[in-house]
Amino acid sequence: MNRIRELDHRRWAITAGVVLVVLAVAALLILFAGADPLVGLRGLIEGISSSPYRVGELLVGAVPIAIVALTLIPALRAGVFSVGAEGQIIFGAIFATGATLWLADVFGPDLPAPAFWVVGLIAGAVGGGLFALLPALLAVRWQVNEILSTLLLNYVAAGFLGWTLRTWLASPEDTATPQSEQLPEAAALPSLIPGTRAHWGILLVVIIAIGFMLWRRSAASTRVAVFASRPKLALRLGATRSGTIYFTMLVSGAGAGLVGWIQVAGVNERLFSSVTGGVGFSGLAVALLGGLLPIGIVAAALFFSALTAGAVGMQSATGTIPSSIAEVIKSVLLLGVASIAAYQRRPAAVVAPSDAAAAVDDQPADETEHVR
Amino acid sequence: MSPELWISILAGAIALSAPLVLAGVGEGFVERAGRINLGIEGMMILGAFMGVYVASSAGPMAGLLAGAVTGLVLAILMNTVVHRLHANEIVVGLAITMLGLGLSTYLFQLWIPSGETNISVETVPRWPIPLLADIPFVGRILFAQSPIVYATVLVAVAAWAVMRFTRFGLQIRAVGADPVAATLRGVRTRTVGSSSLLIGGSLAGLAGAVITVGTIGSFTPGITAGRGYIVLAIVIMGRSTPVGIALGALLFAFLQSFSLLAQSTGLQLPSEIYQTLPYVVTLIVLVISSRSRLRSVLKKARLA
Repeated sequence: MNRIRELDHRRWAITAGVVLVVLAVAALLILFAGADPLVGLRGLIEGISSSPYRVGELLVGAVPIAIVALTLIPALRAGVFSVGAEGQIIFGAIFATGATLWLADVFGPDLPAPAFWVVGLIAGAVGGGLFALLPALLAVRWQVNEILSTLLLNYVAAGFLGWTLRTWLASPEDTATPQSEQLPEAAALPSLIPGTRAHWGILLVVIIAIGFMLWRRSAASTRVAVFASRPKLALRLGATRSGTIYFTMLVSGAGAGLVGWIQVAGVNERLFSSVTGGVGFSGLAVALLGGLLPIGIVAAALFFSALTAGAVGMQSATGTIPSSIAEVIKSVLLLGVASIAAYQRRPAAVVAPSDAAAAVDDQPADETEHVR
Repeated sequence: MSPELWISILAGAIALSAPLVLAGVGEGFVERAGRINLGIEGMMILGAFMGVYVASSAGPMAGLLAGAVTGLVLAILMNTVVHRLHANEIVVGLAITMLGLGLSTYLFQLWIPSGETNISVETVPRWPIPLLADIPFVGRILFAQSPIVYATVLVAVAAWAVMRFTRFGLQIRAVGADPVAATLRGVRTRTVGSSSLLIGGSLAGLAGAVITVGTIGSFTPGITAGRGYIVLAIVIMGRSTPVGIALGALLFAFLQSFSLLAQSTGLQLPSEIYQTLPYVVTLIVLVISSRSRLRSVLKKARLA
């Protein structure tokens, strides 16, 4: 009991240290830009909260990050490091846009809105899931490292999107930036708070978060976590390597694909080449930041979105600080959380790469730590 | 396609492969020591920015040095978090990549606020080797390059020699093959792992500076365009040996050079096919090499 308390003390000390380092880095960056940190802070707060519209933007930004992060829970718990959300979002968005426009073409744009939503949602999830199956297949059949295959496939997806927007999904109007035709009005997600862009996708985040809270209590979740540290034991519990990889990658791919649909139907109402906006990588960082816990992830997603929105406010308040300061702060935060997670020694948070996990098959992970 | 075009494509491929070889050779050390550096992309892009920034006032050579120092600093940061605080290597690597991408954009926007024209620096001039450069066809491809390319060849050879003939190289290989056995024989596993990471980091930073100061002459956010990830794939394809890494880098660089130049010719394919071709081929080669590596592992397991 005493030891646990002592560990807890250290964890608090490290957490406080990380918060201090993040604040110090932020202050340094602001000073480096020749601005007053306090003016910057005021701009940050104004950027988030000065009007209902700004609050809405905060929620709109948090939705895709939260969904990507939540659906990454099984994969990261299993030690399957999928970095392919960017590409899967793109494929989900292409499928969803294609299906919605096709539906409007065949049955006319006056179909009831729910029909459009159901088709868009399913098409998005299917698109993202299918694109995630490829790296899963490569990992299962030929032991291709899933980090590298998903990273490379992101570039392939971006190329495919560029071609799509020039050819079969291109807008018939003559536009400067490549884009698709506008979705029919009924297909757009209605706004949740009047006067803002905050849409009903927020409800989906709540549903998915509750779903994963329940899933974490299930036997399947335990099997997946056991797979990360002791694959052979997991096999005896009924979790095969191929089954676990296919399942976890499919869940994260479908989630990312869903985000693709939400970004098209909820935010822009057309498909642009910038549909992902870096949400895939932010989602991975948020999943780790939230300790793979649904509530933690939702909070971390709101925080990330607040940083992005706040940095824009900071830029307009000071005039000198580029809004990319948000990206620097996020990365320092991730570095800090990685250090905290190492102290927590929670198997799910200290995710091991899949081949390292296979190497310690016959002995628990802790023993190898001692030898090192 | 005319021979002139082929000369440009091949000479361009060799120039484009230099940063990949440099970063790849560095990552070869890291992977031979049994670690992985997912922060390469971030080290490269911050090195690319610092290279241009320093070169704008102190000349290209100082720029290259600044790139290497930048990579070293990021590697020291990564090493501290991974080894001292025992954080997960993959997460920290991704965080370093985010840091490099974010910080390079931030500093660039401070340096050149939006609306102002980007600053171009003088690049390292070409250095045709007398006599050899006059050999028809081959001479203009191989021997009319920038001195960086020749230096890259030297670095690759030096890396091979270090790995093959020195005590340090032996220690790296021992740690990578079996850390427990290496520790029992008195090798300082952590020191060896750290030094290889620092070497890898400096070379990655240098590689970034080579992209900007060596060929392009200016920086734009996102200029490395995933080449750090390509390096990781190349190192796995080349089994962490300098020769294998150089071949992988040449393959990727050839496809990249081809895609840059072939669009202007008669081959009327969508430009996206040319742009994604290098990534697709890298993935295919990665699959093939992972498969043969699997086979050799299985063979070893059966013999044992």
